[in-house]
Amino acid sequence: MIDRKYLKAIAGIFVLFAIGLVFFFIFSAPYGDGLEKTMKEAGIEEGEPVYQAPLNYGEDYVTALIAGIVGFGLTIGMGYGFFKLTRKKEEIKETK
Amino acid sequence: MHIPDGIMSPEVLAVGWVVALAIIALAVLKVNKKTDDKTVPLMAVLAAGIFVAQMLNFPIFGGTTGHLVGAALAVVLVGPWAGVMIITIILIIQCFAFGDGGLTVLGLNLTNMAIIGPFVAWGTLKLFRGRMEKTGVLAAAWASVFIASFACALELAASYQISGGAYGIEAAISMPAMLGYHAVIGIGEAIITAAIYFYLLRVAPDIIKTRTPAKGEAS
Repeated sequence: MIDRKYLKAIAGIFVLFAIGLVFFFIFSAPYGDGLEKTMKEAGIEEGEPVYQAPLNYGEDYVTALIAGIVGFGLTIGMGYGFFKLTRKKEEIKETK
Repeated sequence: MHIPDGIMSPEVLAVGWVVALAIIALAVLKVNKKTDDKTVPLMAVLAAGIFVAQMLNFPIFGGTTGHLVGAALAVVLVGPWAGVMIITIILIIQCFAFGDGGLTVLGLNLTNMAIIGPFVAWGTLKLFRGRMEKTGVLAAAWASVFIASFACALELAASYQISGGAYGIEAAISMPAMLGYHAVIGIGEAIITAAIYFYLLRVAPDIIKTRTPAKGEAS
């Protein structure tokens, strides 16, 4: 059973970021970040990626929102799986 | 601050992988000892939340943007080792699912954002512990971005030096540009981190790992 304090925090974070995801595109700017700007100033370009990822962040509100939801789901899944798995190993050790 | 493929020398890439794998392996062991069933959902939701927050590119000056790294936020809520793992999970998903940051350079991206970021934040929070904790959160968020960008600029300069200019960016350009932009981006990181910290301080203060309980309050 999850403590009430953890539930409140989880709900708080969830609400905060769910709202943030919906509104992020309004505030999000299309320019390059600090590293990209530095690379541009130095006159160097990205090399060819050695791995082609199956997804991207999208180019309009709807595709970016879908990418955000997919990323949110993937991260929750991987995070929960990883932390749960490491916890289970600890439990196995304790029972030996 | 996600470095793409093809701009770092092989030697610097190798150092990045060695550092990242060694520290993350240690983090797995440390997190394993401290994780309990109560904190697992919090850490998973926090990781997913930071992933979303990293998608927001806020404008700074000169047609440049920055985005939250989230290292300080993770450290404030779950401590440094779990913070390392949370940012690691995010960077792995960004790289493999969305192509954000190169695969060959993932070791350096992990070193900068998932290792240097959280530990700089942790060290800064320690400096402010017990007094001016709220200021400490602001300082930790700013410092985590600024020092991570310094490491990135150093890696670019080292690549340039080692490869004779075939890779990287010379220090005379990479240092002032990276530090200048990220000094401002760090302010954005500090504002977002502090906003979330103050919000959680109101709705769930017990959850904040780095908070010193008030006198008479059970820790």
